[in-house]
Order: sequence, then C-alpha cells, then structure tokens
Amino acid sequence: MFINWALQEINLKIVYYGPGMSGKTTNLEYIHSKLDPSLKGELVSLKTKEDRTIFFDFMQIEVGRIKGKKPKFNLYTVPGQVYYASSRKVILNGVDGIVFVADSQPHRMEANIETLLDLEENLKQEGHSLENFPWVIQYNKRDLPGVEPVEVLQKRLNFFDVPSFEAVAVRGEGVFDTLKAVINLVVRHVQDQL
Amino acid sequence: MVQTRKLKDGSRQVILNSKQYDAITKVLSELATKTKASAILFADMSGQLISQRGNTDEMNTTVLSALAASDFAATSEMAKLVGEEAKFKLLFHEGEKRNVYLSNVGDDFFLVVVFDVSVTLGLIRIYTKKAIEDLLAALKEGKEEGGDREKMIDSDFSSLLGDALDDAFK
Repeated sequence: MFINWALQEINLKIVYYGPGMSGKTTNLEYIHSKLDPSLKGELVSLKTKEDRTIFFDFMQIEVGRIKGKKPKFNLYTVPGQVYYASSRKVILNGVDGIVFVADSQPHRMEANIETLLDLEENLKQEGHSLENFPWVIQYNKRDLPGVEPVEVLQKRLNFFDVPSFEAVAVRGEGVFDTLKAVINLVVRHVQDQL
Repeated sequence: MVQTRKLKDGSRQVILNSKQYDAITKVLSELATKTKASAILFADMSGQLISQRGNTDEMNTTVLSALAASDFAATSEMAKLVGEEAKFKLLFHEGEKRNVYLSNVGDDFFLVVVFDVSVTLGLIRIYTKKAIEDLLAALKEGKEEGGDREKMIDSDFSSLLGDALDDAFK
C-alpha cells in the first residue's frame, strides 16, 4: 500500500493469481470492457504471440474521491504456466490483496492446488501467509459441463474459509462480486492494521 | 524519514507526507530542466507512480511505472541467476529516438528518465546521480505530519467505498 498525503491518494495493489488458462486475464478484460472510461486506465497485456500472458496484465481503476481521499486500485494478473514462476514472484511485490482464480474442471484440480501452494510460497517471501492475508477465491468456468461441485472445490482449495465466488468470467458472471469482495477485505485489513 | 511501516502481518506500508512530496517534485523539476529530459517519473518498487515531471501528457505514466517496476523486478531475478549478489543498480534502454534510463533510489523507489537520443547519456548519468542523492535526502528529512493516519480509512470510508464500487460496477 502506498499513501500519498500530498495528493490524498491511497494506492492498493490487487493481484489475480491462478493456474494457466483459469481466466485471470478474462476477469480483467471484462472489468475493463464494462467500467466507465472515467474510472479506468488502459489495460496493458504482456502476451506471447499465442495470446498467453508472459509477464502480467495491468490496469488501474479509480472510483472518484471518498471523504476527500482518492483510492486507486492497481489490478495485476500473473502468468499461470508453471515455468513463469519467477514472473509470478516479482509481481507479488507490494501486493495488498489476491484473487485466486481456480479452474472448476476436475482435470485442473491438481493445477489449482499446485498454484495455491506456489502462491503461499511466494507470499512467504513477501512476509505474508494465506492464513491471514486478504484474499478470495473465484471458482471460474461454472458453465462448462462436468465441473467439480462447489463443495468439492471448497474442501480441496478453501482451507482458510475465505470468501468464494462462482463465476463465468467470459460472460462477466461473478467478476464484479469477486473484485468488490477483495477490495472490501483489503480495506478492512488496512483498517485493522492501523 | 519516509514512513515505511511494517504492519502486524509483515506487509509494508509506505506513507509519504506533503513536505516529502514537494521536495521530491522539486528535485524532479530540477532534473528535468538540467537534462532536458522528455519525462521523469519517480515511483515505488511495487509500481505505483508517485510524481512526474516533463512532457508527460502524451505518455501513459501509470502504465510506464508499472512496467518499469517489473523491469527492475525481472532484472533483479536475472542478477541472481548470473551470480550477481546485489541488484542491478541501473537499467538502460536504447531506442532510435528516445532512450530510457532507470535507476533505483534506495531499496523502495526508482527513477525513470526518458530522453531524446540527442542528449548524451553521460549528462543524464551525472545529473541523475545527483538527483538520487537529493531524493534520498528528501525521503529521509521530511518531518512526520500529525498522525491523521487512523482517520484516513475509517469504517465510514469503507461503507462509502462500497457504495462507490456498487455504482461503478453496475
């Protein structure tokens, strides 16, 4: 978190984390497509020519002044593929909140778990732990046939009982609920920490 | 001293007061005048832009800061891989029309200088070095302001923010 008293700005960094192809970029693309232009900056995506995130996506959103203060939310995604581990680590620098985008398909369960462990490992290096850090889970791709029941996903992934949301990010379902929840958690967390 | 507070959960919170902000902006203005740089940005290592000077109207400096921070982060990983124990101190990108010179300011901040190829790198290096010293001094010296921090984010703020988000996400 970065607070600039002179400009009354509060900058918060939120990172979308999750296995490859789980829909992290899709979340940001949907948010970008729906927000009023006055509230959002450019969506920058560092992609390979195959359209996979190689480094990160970035977008800043604002909601105007609140009690004279100007909160700004910097949203980032990380590349999901296993071999971009070091990119994921560096993007977590200074992170204030996390959205874990899980893929609801049964064959992606192992990837979800592996990425969650990778997240915990990287958070540790930032001095955090999933146990007491503001984060939420989004169970994405709920529209696909044969997805795992939410109860199974909850049991396997949500071991700290954080807020969770079902989503179909390509259609925008659950996208704003997820973002709002993580922002609320981050702000509450900041309040508690002061 | 710029307030870099370790919070209970171990996370880092950076708070900059008005005096420090003014001092930083002054250093950037001087650097811009002396080097004739097209743009100068001062940002936090997590990618958050703090202050900017020069001709930045046509430039998306928010994104530039985010990219520059990642540039630093990526090259510091690179440094480890090639057996360099410290982080690389400066990064230089050479273009046909413009060059970009990035240098860290302490551990938590960095400076981006965008300049025309007609300006010599030596000049940029000399003045940037001086500016970094001044910036470090400004960050160190700024006096603490009365602790209104608790009031910055109160429960009222949270609920108003909730409303604003509902509005924005309609």
